Amino acid sequence: MKTYIARRLLALVPVALVVATVGFTLMHLAPGDPASIIAGPDASGEDVARLSRQLGLDAPFHVQLLRWYGRLATGDLGQSIFLRRPVLEAIVDRVEPTLLLTLYAMLVAVAVGVPSGVLSARHHDTATDQALMTLALVGISIPNFLLGLLLILAFSVWLGWFPVAGYSPLEYGWLLTLRSLTLPAFALGLVQSALIARIARSAMLDVLREQFIVAGRAKGLAERAVVYKHALKNAMIPTVTVIGISFAILISGAVVVETVFNIPGLGRLIISAVLRRDYPVIQGVVLCIAGVYMLVNLAVDLSYILFDPRVRYQ
Amino acid sequence: MSEARPGFAGTGRAVAGVAAPVGAPLVQHAPRWIRLLGRRRATLVGLALVAVALVVGLLAPVLAGDPLRIDVARRLTAPGSAHWFGTDDVGRDVWSRVVYGARLSLVVGTAVVVMSFAIGLGCGLTAGYYRRLDNIVMRVMDGLMAFPAIILAIALMASLGPSVLNVIVAIGIVYAPRVARIVRGSVLVIRETAYVEAARALGASDAVIVARHVLPNCLSPVIVQGSFVFAAAVLTEAALSFLGVGVPPYVPSWGNILAEGRLYLQQAPWLVLYPGAAIMLTIFGLNLLGDGLRDLLDPRLRGIAAERTS
Repeated sequence: MKTYIARRLLALVPVALVVATVGFTLMHLAPGDPASIIAGPDASGEDVARLSRQLGLDAPFHVQLLRWYGRLATGDLGQSIFLRRPVLEAIVDRVEPTLLLTLYAMLVAVAVGVPSGVLSARHHDTATDQALMTLALVGISIPNFLLGLLLILAFSVWLGWFPVAGYSPLEYGWLLTLRSLTLPAFALGLVQSALIARIARSAMLDVLREQFIVAGRAKGLAERAVVYKHALKNAMIPTVTVIGISFAILISGAVVVETVFNIPGLGRLIISAVLRRDYPVIQGVVLCIAGVYMLVNLAVDLSYILFDPRVRYQ
Repeated sequence: MSEARPGFAGTGRAVAGVAAPVGAPLVQHAPRWIRLLGRRRATLVGLALVAVALVVGLLAPVLAGDPLRIDVARRLTAPGSAHWFGTDDVGRDVWSRVVYGARLSLVVGTAVVVMSFAIGLGCGLTAGYYRRLDNIVMRVMDGLMAFPAIILAIALMASLGPSVLNVIVAIGIVYAPRVARIVRGSVLVIRETAYVEAARALGASDAVIVARHVLPNCLSPVIVQGSFVFAAAVLTEAALSFLGVGVPPYVPSWGNILAEGRLYLQQAPWLVLYPGAAIMLTIFGLNLLGDGLRDLLDPRLRGIAAERTS
């Protein structure tokens, strides 16, 4: 198993290299050279040339690329053009709301998705099943930012139960934070719960056809015990995979939903950076999220070993 | 990354492995599959919804007025006989903007499907057929797929700048690797089949084998992805425009209308409700259609489909 984990970690290296290269290329894809963007529209040609030398932008492409790998390896994401501070610092400052929103949304997605899927499978081909699955398909069809707007309209504008927008940081008390994140978390989580429900249902249906379920029923086990004890445990393996992938999807979804609710997280950071053409920040946020995404995917793959003792890796 | 990955976020295609076994050539079955497609009510509903979106988009100039005409005196007018869906903050007709938004969505969706299929088929066939190139091509694809779709799209838009063409290019680049991976999976199975070996024994060149034997047989899983890629493209365009990094703000796009609507939720909820309904119905239709196509064309799931229709 150790060698398997080591092999998986090693396999990340080429992917990480490609990711770093894409991040580098993105910056150089932009029209105009980075030095003149950083120097601003009023800078003289001399200033731009000096800045270009300073930033090492006059070096050949492959030298710049190698330097870029070196800087990344030491965790140096460069300086923000607009904020005039290290990109990494700016990112760390904005992580809290995004991370909390993602976790809260994850909770909503699992709490709604798994029970609906199981319920749907248990009442396979009944009105309950059809109603739940139609609802899930509708859920998949609503983009999270639209659901966010609809939730604001219903629960903030019409009913007045929640703040229309904004974020209350943890330091002002976690209850306020929870309140400010509830609508965004549902906007993000409900959409994902639809996907989880669909997977949980089909996993459950597959398991319910197995021999050991028939055996359980034959020996007179209560239907509850069959479904919730024996079937559910086995249906969790594919479900956990989807939950893990959901986490990665939710982080990127949070970036979009933050705009709806004006939450000062990574999403706002990258969008305002795009509008200001602050390329180092865009690059930094993109690379950080891609990094998390890769690690989560790895964790999901490794979690099979824990969840399914039948899975053995050399 | 492992082989078991969902097609992409937000579509029904989930944990199923990518290396789908491949059915008989599509062409021979065309009449039967169209007949079967019509048998399920859900698929028909999906087909109808997509057809409505298509007709509305195609007939936009007939159905709607000028989506760009500003009439500040009538700003934020509630829906009524003059303006069916009301007006926005500078007095533009929301009905016209939603109708032209459908047209933009269709253009973006179609162009992204064409682009991601062209790149995806090219890379997937190359990687699957020529084992020596497999590693290089697929590592690049893995690297691109290591970015969450919307994040990569935002980053690409930052570099390319806001325009309809750039939105298409950005979303196309995002989804091409996902198509490539599915194609490669199929090709790996097909290249080992007896008929490919027979073709090779008869002296057919690689180009002939790939074009005449491999390509037609790996199309069905790709066609299944078609409606999901289309849906994902429409959603991503709306999200990018909503965030202000997609098509320029004056262009009538569902995402742009929603972005304006966010600022006037209290005074003008119709700015959110109508384009929102348009997005939902279109994506719902595409998902229903995609599910129907998958049940028919993806042989791995054919058993389940049979069970459902019986």
